[in-house]
Amino acid sequence: VTIAGLEAGPHETLPAQATLPPAMPPVNRMIIAVVALAGVFLSAYMLLYKVGLIGELTCGAGGSCDRVQASPEAVFLGVPVPLWGVVGYAAIFAAAFAGLHARLAGARLIAGALLALTGVAFAFSMYLTYLEAFVILAWCRWCIASAIMATLLFACALPELRRARSGGVPIDA
Amino acid sequence: VAQRQRKGAQPARQSATSLKPFYIILGVVALVGIGGILFAMRGGAGRGVATEPADLSGVTDAQELVARARGVAVGPDNAPVQVLVFSDYMCPWCAEFALGSEKQLKSEFVEPGQVQFIYYDFPLGGARVPSSRLVRASRCAEDQGRFWEFHDVLFERQRAWMGERAAPISTFNGYAQELGLDMDEFRGCLNSDRHQELVTANYVLGAQLGVSGTPTVFVNGRRVGNPTVWSNMREAVQQQIGS
Repeated sequence: VTIAGLEAGPHETLPAQATLPPAMPPVNRMIIAVVALAGVFLSAYMLLYKVGLIGELTCGAGGSCDRVQASPEAVFLGVPVPLWGVVGYAAIFAAAFAGLHARLAGARLIAGALLALTGVAFAFSMYLTYLEAFVILAWCRWCIASAIMATLLFACALPELRRARSGGVPIDA
Repeated sequence: VAQRQRKGAQPARQSATSLKPFYIILGVVALVGIGGILFAMRGGAGRGVATEPADLSGVTDAQELVARARGVAVGPDNAPVQVLVFSDYMCPWCAEFALGSEKQLKSEFVEPGQVQFIYYDFPLGGARVPSSRLVRASRCAEDQGRFWEFHDVLFERQRAWMGERAAPISTFNGYAQELGLDMDEFRGCLNSDRHQELVTANYVLGAQLGVSGTPTVFVNGRRVGNPTVWSNMREAVQQQIGS
């Protein structure tokens, strides 16, 4: 048996910690979890403004956050867009966080969920960006930040395609 | 045996060492996020209530502008508090304001004579229905002394007419008919440019006052944060009555 360049006989027991290479959890899932958590707080900020718990949005000079938030497009399927954001980012965070656990690291379900959730988030954010550009005719810096986050999340989730197809590969792959 | 041990030992090593920096970063993000939200919520919904005087620095000839613009007022001219709202019939928050805070304001402060409420049009525009045509329709109703009734109907039924694909002129004509307006006069007005200049003047006034979203409310010249929340409005008005 050869492990990390050391040879041992079939009856020998090796102190595993002394000989094994360190097991790296998937870095892309760590990034996804961190960005998604930031997304949860960003969406929560917008939602709290929407429900009246925050007096004013910090939008910067020339910002049109109020205008975007007040537009009919700020509600999707009867639900305020920020609430969709909180739920979506929280789901992505949960999937990525679970995927860092060794037992679930290679699970197809996690890889598939990350791909699907970030894919939907990316598509939705592109749709919202289109609305800002061509329908509402105003830009909100928080919405742009969220769109960048969604793009980053989707990009980081692309390696999951290999895991989903293979049905699980070692977590340091 | 060694491979079995390898499989068993890996998770323990991973959680103990590799994830530590990750947890630290996650903790920092959580702290910053929670801290930021708590900071934004300091003072609750009332933050920003009547704290920002309207910036008139960009207005070169304010009197001329105000003279051209004309809101629709309700309440006595000599009321101690003047409340201005810039609103758009297509905006769902404006409907929320009109059916909530505005009604409360009228019953609690306008009717007793403490507040004069002035409605200004600020059509944000949009791809589906020309906002300015809606505003002109409401001004055509005003010509017949029925502005507030038409305004109420538009906001109460906003969801219905907003769902229509084309500009629902026939729907507005239907509302006018329900309210008992002279339809020949109303149609003639709506098909003309009678109020176009007024609509533009009101919009320009709002833009000069820094209005970028709707509804934007000024209480004695001070902007109210999130006026759809009635407690914000009441607090702002009471501050001015008490001062």
